[in-house]
Amino acid sequence: MSTIVAMHGIAKHYRLGAHEVPALRGIDLQLSRGELVALTGPSGSGKSTLLNLAGLIDDADAGDYRLSGTAVRGLDESVRTQLRRAAIGFVFQSFNLVPVMSVAENVEYPLFLAGVPKREAQARVAEMLERVGIADRSRHRPDELSGGQRQRVAIARALVKRPTLVIADEPTANLDSRTAGDVIEIVRELCHQQGSACLVASHDERLTVHCDRVLALRDGVLQ
Amino acid sequence: MSSAFGLDLLRWTRFALRNTLRNRRRSLATVLLGGLGAAAILTGGGFALFTYESLQQAAARDTGHLILARAEQFEREEDTPMQYGLADFEGLKKRLLADPDVRYVLPRIAFTGLVSNGDKSAVMIGSGIDPQAEFSVRGPFLKLKAGKLLDEDSGKGPDILLGEELARSLHAQPGSALTLLASTTAGALNAIDVRVAGVVSSGVPDVDRRLVLSDLHTAQQLLVTDKVSRVGIYLRRLELTDAARDRLAPQLAPLSLRGWEQEAVFYKAVRGLYDRIFGGMGIVIGLIVVAVVTGAMAMAMVERTREIGTLRALGTSPGQLVRSFAIEGAALGAAGGLLGALIAFGVSVGLDLAGLEMPPPPGRSVGYPLHVTFSPELALATLAVVSLLALLAAAIVARRSVRKPIVEALGHV
Repeated sequence: MSTIVAMHGIAKHYRLGAHEVPALRGIDLQLSRGELVALTGPSGSGKSTLLNLAGLIDDADAGDYRLSGTAVRGLDESVRTQLRRAAIGFVFQSFNLVPVMSVAENVEYPLFLAGVPKREAQARVAEMLERVGIADRSRHRPDELSGGQRQRVAIARALVKRPTLVIADEPTANLDSRTAGDVIEIVRELCHQQGSACLVASHDERLTVHCDRVLALRDGVLQ
Repeated sequence: MSSAFGLDLLRWTRFALRNTLRNRRRSLATVLLGGLGAAAILTGGGFALFTYESLQQAAARDTGHLILARAEQFEREEDTPMQYGLADFEGLKKRLLADPDVRYVLPRIAFTGLVSNGDKSAVMIGSGIDPQAEFSVRGPFLKLKAGKLLDEDSGKGPDILLGEELARSLHAQPGSALTLLASTTAGALNAIDVRVAGVVSSGVPDVDRRLVLSDLHTAQQLLVTDKVSRVGIYLRRLELTDAARDRLAPQLAPLSLRGWEQEAVFYKAVRGLYDRIFGGMGIVIGLIVVAVVTGAMAMAMVERTREIGTLRALGTSPGQLVRSFAIEGAALGAAGGLLGALIAFGVSVGLDLAGLEMPPPPGRSVGYPLHVTFSPELALATLAVVSLLALLAAAIVARRSVRKPIVEALGHV
């Protein structure tokens, strides 16, 4: 299996007034194609920070990070934007759908950014909505959907561009047990089918049983 | 590529327009304030335009669209009356009327002297005119207060019209006999007896205190001359002035030909003043519109901080987000501009229907109708400027917001 994420000695500090607080210390992490990896740990353990670094929305202070073989630490923000646009999908805890866009438009948005022709984009959106089971809601606005439906839309949005890496931060935190199970199964299935590596941060033990590997993070160190 | 760019722009525009409807109350307030600002600019500008148009027409009506005289007449003071007068008016008139754009050619003689009732004398500033042509071309430029105009009974000898204040000073009324006293072209004093045909008002009390109008022959008889001071040339339309001057000037050299604007001192002074007043007002209102849009967009961006973070995480560039917010600002500005145009149009029509009068300006004794010209060109320009200002204001505010670190933006509550 080819390596998508390769992190070695990754460190990140935050400044709190005059003090520097370490968030991550010497993280070594590898994710392969189609692999679903859960990241667990208590609040403040550094899960979100690690996801942010892996998803290129933040940069590490030290260490080496290669995404699909490309060194990405210290890259210019415009290059990181291009990489996120092309290669990374995000699923947020609070869904973070754009309220003025319909379900279909939310899912189509990453394809629009990537410059996928309209007709092809629409076909891919229809297929993805079918796969996450909300094709009949494509014209609805997010505020007309239940939490589970919104998270399905968010998953469809993250995966529609067939990213190499999917970052999911507590994707089931706001969902009931049954819906949470459905949602994580959809993520697992799609990532396996598309060959996307998926890093999921979660406290939820119901979720971790669906993952290929479970990593525990404590005080910024992988156990 | 251009078609892809057009589609992209369409998509961003649709997104931006939907965003304007997210907080309808705030957008409505922004559009209303922008609309009131645009309406103020258009109403003030429309009033200035009406004033300019009226003064242009009045100035051109007084002097003629073009004024023909010897160059010295424009540039120097005469030592003796008609020193720089024009001979052979009839020949000039014939030549001028041959031009297709010239409708009328009116002679004018300017003279000064004294007017006396036998007991009392007063200084007069007189004009010798072709009464029939003058009144038919210039229309009711004088208000007849008593008696009749010069052309109504011209066969009974030298008649004059007296300004209202001058007639009061001399206790003169229609039918009164007066004597005009002036220097002739040779420098001697000459006097002729005249009869008051009518008492008139120009609307300017200072003018009415000295005003005497006679027919051309009476003025020439008083000054002992066959010349005229100037010739007023009336064209088919005001807009033809520059072209006609360029065409006629070489034909009439060495005589000098001036446009009405060069002689319209009052018009130029008012225009200079109004340009500053309404220009300054426009700048202030523009700044208010910028402040209103800036405030509205800043609030919108704070509310949407997390969404901005999400869109950035998905790969939206800061430039794309700035563009979207700029379109949103421009849309609010354009809506305000359109509303302002509608309000200004309503004010223009409403004032016409109401028939309101402005009080007399300083130095004048008659008011004028209150009218606001609705200019589609000015409305379009205002719409464009308000939209552009709103676009720039939104873009400037957005530039800072979209560059906030993504992690920070996503964590915004």
